[in-house]
Amino acid sequence: MKRIALLLFAIATLAGIVAFTARASGHADEAASPIYGVTIPAGYRDWQLIAVKQLHFAGMGEQLRAQVGNDIAMKAFKEGTRPFPDGSIIAAMHWTRVPSEDNDKVLDPAFPGTHSFVIGSPVNVQFMVKDSRKYAATGGWGFADFKDGKPGDKALHETCFPCHAPAKDRDFVFTDYALAP
Amino acid sequence: MKRTAFLCVAVVMVAGAVAFTTSASGHSDEEAAPVYGVRVPHGYRDWRLISVARVGDPLNDLRAKLGNDIAIKAYREGKLPFPDGTIIARLAWQQVTSETIQNAFRVRGGTETHLSPEQVEKLVDGSLVAGPPSNVQFMVKDSTKYASTGGWGFAQFNDGKPADEATHKTCFSCHEPAKDSDFVFTRYAP
Repeated sequence: MKRIALLLFAIATLAGIVAFTARASGHADEAASPIYGVTIPAGYRDWQLIAVKQLHFAGMGEQLRAQVGNDIAMKAFKEGTRPFPDGSIIAAMHWTRVPSEDNDKVLDPAFPGTHSFVIGSPVNVQFMVKDSRKYAATGGWGFADFKDGKPGDKALHETCFPCHAPAKDRDFVFTDYALAP
Repeated sequence: MKRTAFLCVAVVMVAGAVAFTTSASGHSDEEAAPVYGVRVPHGYRDWRLISVARVGDPLNDLRAKLGNDIAIKAYREGKLPFPDGTIIARLAWQQVTSETIQNAFRVRGGTETHLSPEQVEKLVDGSLVAGPPSNVQFMVKDSTKYASTGGWGFAQFNDGKPADEATHKTCFSCHEPAKDSDFVFTRYAP
């Protein structure tokens, strides 16, 4: 009887471990980006902030953007290490930009006529993954663009590296670390 | 001799502990903001992101809101009012253009898209990055200590120094329109 209880306990524990492992891997089972095979890194929304941007796209208006980095990337950003070491991952989160009348009203007494903007809805999230051997042909970086959790097509991913080529002197990364105010 | 050595080790250890405590407290020796007595929280630049924003003319800045662990947990669970211990940091940078990004636009706009040079320049002008830091503001939740201001203590620091009392007297009245969301304007970015 005692033995059966122990066996049941062991099975339950094992099942728990399997379930936990499956869950902890998060997005890892989901689709990978074409060409580079990059999947969405688990927990990237919790990474530290590199900087913020506004970017204006033809026919798409302005976007508000935030770049975050994993621990390896953040260490390199803070210490100014270039090229970025293998294992660096940079995530760029892009949202639509919308005017905020509520904020304008609040700002108006102190700053009359101010136009302020906040984020609307998510557009996409992009990743750059450093692996100097695997991605030797593209400056050591693997690229990925996900919209609503799904990777963009091959044609889209063919534009990643040529677009980043002008930033070659900065290891193909546009963003600088925004210093603490 | 042995006793002297032991004493020396003890003295060094105490000195080390004192030095460590001082350095670990970071900014806490610096000046506190008037009215609320809020200091710059140690390590706030490493906190997680709540959201981003931009303010146009005449301020022209880019902003990020970061939260400590208590703040992020409350945001994700949609918990209002925010629990005591919540700290929200609002970081602002002057908006500047990035030559590298402008070049990237010009290269791609000129060779791989059907945009006119005027259209490309419009994109270039509308693209801004975080430049020199402007200031940082904090909201600290302590429902007892700050009972008369919705439970929030406010602070603004320019270059590490607190802004004057007059500035801090405007904080709460400015945040009052957001009473329904516990005086916090920013929503969590999905």
